[in-house]
Amino acid sequence: MTDTQWPRYEVFVQERPGRPHQHAGSVHAPDDEIALQNARDVFVRRPECISLWVAPAAAITGVTAQELAERGAAPEAQADGDDHAFEVFAKVEQRGTLIHIGQVAASSAAVALAASRRLADANGALVLWVVPSGRVTRSDEADVAPMFAPASTKAYRDQAFYHVQTALQRMRRSRQP
Amino acid sequence: MTDDGRLAEFEARLARGEKIEPGDWMPDEYRRQLIRMISQHAHSEVVGMLPEGGWITRAPNLRRKLVLLAKVQDEGGHGQYLYHAAETLGVTREEMLEALLAGKAKYSSIFNYPAQSWADIGVIGWFVDGAAILNQTMLARCSYGPYARAMLRICAEESFHHKQGIEICLTLAQGTPAQRAMLQDAVDRWWWPTLMMFGPHDSDSPNSPALMRWGIKTRSNDELRQEFVDQTVPQAQAMGVRLPDPELRFDAATGHWRFGEIDWDEFWRVVGGDGPCNRERLEARRQAHDDGRWVREALAAYAARP
Repeated sequence: MTDTQWPRYEVFVQERPGRPHQHAGSVHAPDDEIALQNARDVFVRRPECISLWVAPAAAITGVTAQELAERGAAPEAQADGDDHAFEVFAKVEQRGTLIHIGQVAASSAAVALAASRRLADANGALVLWVVPSGRVTRSDEADVAPMFAPASTKAYRDQAFYHVQTALQRMRRSRQP
Repeated sequence: MTDDGRLAEFEARLARGEKIEPGDWMPDEYRRQLIRMISQHAHSEVVGMLPEGGWITRAPNLRRKLVLLAKVQDEGGHGQYLYHAAETLGVTREEMLEALLAGKAKYSSIFNYPAQSWADIGVIGWFVDGAAILNQTMLARCSYGPYARAMLRICAEESFHHKQGIEICLTLAQGTPAQRAMLQDAVDRWWWPTLMMFGPHDSDSPNSPALMRWGIKTRSNDELRQEFVDQTVPQAQAMGVRLPDPELRFDAATGHWRFGEIDWDEFWRVVGGDGPCNRERLEARRQAHDDGRWVREALAAYAARP
């Protein structure tokens, strides 16, 4: 068996209820299930996660701000076949990352991007990604506790656990004559 | 648009404080410098697990063991965040990993020094992570979006690394004469290599002008090194440890601590591959890669099941 690189998956983390999933980075994995597991190990060592999504990078169609600007007047993409759902992600702040802004129904990624433009324009998107909803693997509601709860019992991973400034001040004072 | 026009537009975007994203036009040199820097940074996180990893089973109590385990695990994760950021520029993880295993890639020289005693674990957190955080806080504001975001994540997680190190040192500083001597010995060995982490003087740093011009770095090596010295000297005084530099003195006129000249021969020797542990570190990485082969094969077989 050749020991070579696996496909890349993009990872999206939801930190709190009511907040959108946001892009965190990527992992490599041989399949969707392991990708979700790897994403959990790499990106959720802290408690701030209630839901995790992974999508194969190959299934994502994206455009940058430059392309959005250059294609401003491009004609709408032609529909081909039946509509299905796409998840739409957009980067809406210079310092931000891609966040999930909604869903569109479209017959192809090109049509989905065109449809998302209207959604994105309202948000002032700088980068836009669409991915077929069926290609997104989501953490199961039933697995939320086993997947994410262990992080919340590890308070020592948080800098607030350590009171070194107070201790340093105390030592400094004890050295003064 | 011509390349000159694109370059002008690119620099105008930087001047407006915009972040460059994957797929945006960028000068080849910007891409090349970022790949070089981010992959070296990723390798440093991965190799950085080794000096401390050896102490996990020797930690003095369960609490220290849990903390060290979590810290080393973070470093593995931080390496992955950074490989991800480098990949967005068109290089593959496989290429980067192969370069590391083949001994062709650079990583921070600090990890070519051995962790000889438990006090070293404290001092690595206090000095090495303290120095790394200054550099990473700067990079969290850099012009390339994926690198800046990876750094933000790393900085948020890494302040615990710094603090747990100070906590170990504080414990030893208030301990027995043997514990205090062990702390002093670790400080004596790590002080100068830590100052070297910031890289050559600005005047001898070949990559710095391009990095500063394009907002990858926003502060110079010497500026960051000075901030590290200024923040660390008062902590050492509080702990009652001596920093091994006879020229160290406070300059009231500038408000900064002046320090002696770094041994640049040692710096270049270790960068060039001839440090105390260069060969050992690479050997350990290769061994880890080989030892993990059966796991990769098992996962691939599972994914390929009918």
